[in-house]
Amino acid sequence: MVKTSLILGIAILVVVGTVLIGCGGGGTETGTLQFYANGEDFVRQGFVSKDGWSISFDHVYITLADVTAYQTDPPYDPHSGGAIQPDVEIGLDDVYTVDLAEGGEDAPPILVGEVQDAEVGHYNAIYWEMVRASSGPAAGHSIVIIGTAEKGGQVVDFTISIDEECRYSCGEYVGDERKGILQGDSIADLEMTFHFDHIFGDADTPLDDDLNLGAIGFEPFADAAEGEPVDINMTELHLGHVGEGHCYCLCE
Amino acid sequence: MCIKRKLITGLIFTLALCLVLPMQVYAHGARIEYTSSTEIEIVAKYDTGEPMGGAQVMVYAPDDPSTPWLTGVCDDEGRFTFVPDSTKSGTWDVQVRQAGHGDMAHIPVGEGAVVAGSSGGYSVLQIVLMAVCVVWGIAGTALYFSRRRA
Repeated sequence: MVKTSLILGIAILVVVGTVLIGCGGGGTETGTLQFYANGEDFVRQGFVSKDGWSISFDHVYITLADVTAYQTDPPYDPHSGGAIQPDVEIGLDDVYTVDLAEGGEDAPPILVGEVQDAEVGHYNAIYWEMVRASSGPAAGHSIVIIGTAEKGGQVVDFTISIDEECRYSCGEYVGDERKGILQGDSIADLEMTFHFDHIFGDADTPLDDDLNLGAIGFEPFADAAEGEPVDINMTELHLGHVGEGHCYCLCE
Repeated sequence: MCIKRKLITGLIFTLALCLVLPMQVYAHGARIEYTSSTEIEIVAKYDTGEPMGGAQVMVYAPDDPSTPWLTGVCDDEGRFTFVPDSTKSGTWDVQVRQAGHGDMAHIPVGEGAVVAGSSGGYSVLQIVLMAVCVVWGIAGTALYFSRRRA
């Protein structure tokens, strides 16, 4: 009787131990983390610049590289401008040229790429580089903006090419919903948001607002069609965001 | 045997008396209950220093980073105060947004604050249970074989 009880006890131990090891997983849970690029309604639907030009966009090519998501503790502070200190890090290997104006006025943000075996957790920081494309419609440039502007009956078809390369270090996405919270066998996303009103200004925002004070407007680009170059300082324009959240930016 | 039983009965009675007596002694005393709370105040401003008066505020507790624990608006000075649930230690996230601008503050609350992010491995409970299982298994096996030899 005692012998049977002992054997039964050992058998139960083996089963319990096996189950516990199974619960431990022997590794980490994973899910899919997607990376999106978003030019917002400014790009998709067009807008009026601070100097009264009604601008619509046919293509807005932007080339992205070294797109990386991080889990950081403590959370990364983009105001500090320091390096991101990650606990977990995943990223995309390729260089991507995407057209932020792709699709109609109500098109969703552009899917840049995804990592399917991303460790679960909260990806609360993101880094990317905006680089000159080596091929394709934006070859030689980091940004190519193609569209039409109209003011007082004057219509200008424009192509604006930007060659500066930038590095963006950002904290958590700021918007209607929190992003980057990845659970097992599920999908989460992060967004690289580009505020083109920072380049052209926005007629719907007061002219003395910081956004308009720092923006170039469209007038210089209209003049550029007549041969006057436009000096663009991408570091000061703060094109890259995470939703409404700001990033630390360095361009050269 | 009888004396032993009386002793045990006496002990139980004394113990019960000790538990009841204090309630009788302090039945007419005053009683003050209090809770200690720590209020958190944030002040939201634009880069220019202008207060974000009327900005939307969303507060997230450490145990549920997806759902706002509290929502509200900043006052004219950009201030917003709240009292976090002290039982939820960790990093409380406060998001403030207005007119296309926003930021998020991360405020540690309580000792040993733990932030989101997870890694694999075993929980403490699992480790303890496994250790007990191993010890029990070794002892059981030893007893089994020692009994056979005897």
